[in-house]
Amino acid sequence: MSERRMAINRLRERLPVDGAAVDRFVSRHGSPIVEGERATFLFRGEVDGVSVRHRVVGLPDPLEMRRLEGTDLWAASTVLPEGSRVEYQLETRRGEHHERFNDPLNPRVAHSPMGSSSVCAAVGYEVPEWVHHDPEARPGDLHEEVLRSKALRRDQSVHLYLPARFNRAMRYPLLVVHDGTDYLDFAAMRTVLDNLIHRLDIAPMVVAFVPPRDRLKEYPNHAPHARFIARELVPRLTEQLPLLDAPEGRCLMGSSFGGIASLSTAVRYPGLFGSLLLQSASLVFTDIGFEHGGGPYFDPVVKFVNRYRARPTRPVERMFMSCGTYEPLITPNRSMVSVFRSAGVTVNYAEARDGHNWENWRDRLRDGLSWVFPGPQKYVYE
Amino acid sequence: MATTVLLGPQRFMTTAGSTLRALEVQGPVATITAGWEEREDQDDELNQVLDGRGRNLRLYHRMFDVLDKDDGFAAAALAFRDRHDELQSFYRLRLDIAMQGVYAVQRRTSAHGTGAVALADAVEAVRRLDEWYSARLKDLYRELDAQTSAAESEVISWHRGELAGMLADSAALVITGGHVGTLLRALRLFALPIGEDLPVIAWSAGAMALTDKVVLFHDHAPQGSHEAEVYDRGLGRVPAVIALPHARRRLRLDDRSRCAVLARRFPHHRLVLLDDGTSVVFDGGGPRPGAEGGHAAYGALPHGVRVLTSDGVVQEVLAP
Repeated sequence: MSERRMAINRLRERLPVDGAAVDRFVSRHGSPIVEGERATFLFRGEVDGVSVRHRVVGLPDPLEMRRLEGTDLWAASTVLPEGSRVEYQLETRRGEHHERFNDPLNPRVAHSPMGSSSVCAAVGYEVPEWVHHDPEARPGDLHEEVLRSKALRRDQSVHLYLPARFNRAMRYPLLVVHDGTDYLDFAAMRTVLDNLIHRLDIAPMVVAFVPPRDRLKEYPNHAPHARFIARELVPRLTEQLPLLDAPEGRCLMGSSFGGIASLSTAVRYPGLFGSLLLQSASLVFTDIGFEHGGGPYFDPVVKFVNRYRARPTRPVERMFMSCGTYEPLITPNRSMVSVFRSAGVTVNYAEARDGHNWENWRDRLRDGLSWVFPGPQKYVYE
Repeated sequence: MATTVLLGPQRFMTTAGSTLRALEVQGPVATITAGWEEREDQDDELNQVLDGRGRNLRLYHRMFDVLDKDDGFAAAALAFRDRHDELQSFYRLRLDIAMQGVYAVQRRTSAHGTGAVALADAVEAVRRLDEWYSARLKDLYRELDAQTSAAESEVISWHRGELAGMLADSAALVITGGHVGTLLRALRLFALPIGEDLPVIAWSAGAMALTDKVVLFHDHAPQGSHEAEVYDRGLGRVPAVIALPHARRRLRLDDRSRCAVLARRFPHHRLVLLDDGTSVVFDGGGPRPGAEGGHAAYGALPHGVRVLTSDGVVQEVLAP
């Protein structure tokens, strides 16, 4: 798509235009306008300035919009490679007053524990079909249990997923998911599990969704948290359920700080888990000094990752890692692949043109889970 | 030996009914749908195709009845499965690495003829690995049999007796597709006396179960091991054949090098493609194994059957 042929530039060439023409333009194109590898964001209103706010590494943030002369229409265009998915908000300025909100012209919204964002999907991006409810997929059972944890000195809630057709005569692998309720609420993980098991893409598995209480304290290499997972949760579930009682049958999973919680737990208890599934793990480190720029919450993360990098170990046999190419963590994640491999871990590393968000993590679930616990497709010949 | 017919998948192109009618047998038809697992009883559609003559042997439900009622057998079966799972995991680990070696050798250019010898030896190493797995599995079965005597189990004996009676009253046997592992477990547990004079029609997993070597394959699974792997022995009614149901959908048939390696791994077997609409009719017994590495058994397959050759191409067997 050449710059001249872009819809917004064709409108600019027609200036001046009246309000009705702008109405028709907005109504026809909506926002953002995705044309080839370009995206144009729009806003209408009487303000002093508007910008697109996002966290895409490599693009200017804020991305200032320009007003089309003589109209109340604002626009900003940027490059958007095929397959990209970007979450963003708009920020207006009226005098000294700034306001941030979702794009009112864009109905597509993604949710997270921090609220919601507008979504700009490039050409080539499609929400995977296995994310949506499939009436043919028999649902697994999800129920909450509360464990008394000596390690954490409190009751800990765990949401347990048992696959459809759960049968005590079978043996199931165990997946422990950090930020468990967020994965259920924002990554549709219950539906994803039902669908992928139904499609034979992944093995029927037991999944323990574990929510944190004080995430920023418990997830960056916290001994009581690791003890809870390794010495309380896993033994209890192994006793209670027909699980594969071997490292190959256990996987720890998490995104962002949850990835650090997974890795640090595995490092503290090497050999207990066979695999890790890390999504956009906060693998921040420094090569010299300790200025990491992540703020105080990242201090224990950086200490842990620096220590690991100095003496890498092989806490698990296999590791699936994914990261969005538009997030700041892309560089540390890429860097750590070779470190893990050098320690003897078999690493499957995947990237996507997406950011640090739950839909990115949702979209990578099939690749990750089917690699960690492959489904029985090879056995079924209908 | 009565007729045995291996069919392609029946989901989109149903040929089982016409095949049965062509056999011109009278009376009830025993059906095995154990591969459908807990959907075993949902056989109304199948029964319609069989003109209402189907009698489901319900092997899957019988298997769970045995597991429920015979604690000794259940414990031994569970222990066997754990050991088999472990054996498979080591086999797959070694297989993936060995196959990487084969493909690397295959890709390497060779100016002085070493490549062909190196490839033959690399494939031979995979064959030895396949044989290692099969031998270890045989040991596991031997140990299982030593631990549990099916003949001494009241519940197993009861089921076997009833099944023998049902089969004796049947004019033909139909084995459907589904989970080939579950199907083989059920067939093994009940040791069905499928007489040589009983015509058999089978498709997909059912067809695999009739052969003497069951090979799992799926080039397009999302993750996991993509290499074809030996799984178990089948009933051996159709020997020297490896059944490849859904071959067009499940195998990268356009990758000739990869297909060639698959065929060369099993020189004593014909790799028979069972796609939609396929019908392979064996009258008077199955094909006999050919000379080692040769194609002597081609003639034993009915003409028109599509096979994967050691050159990695799909070829129709020609009339003699």
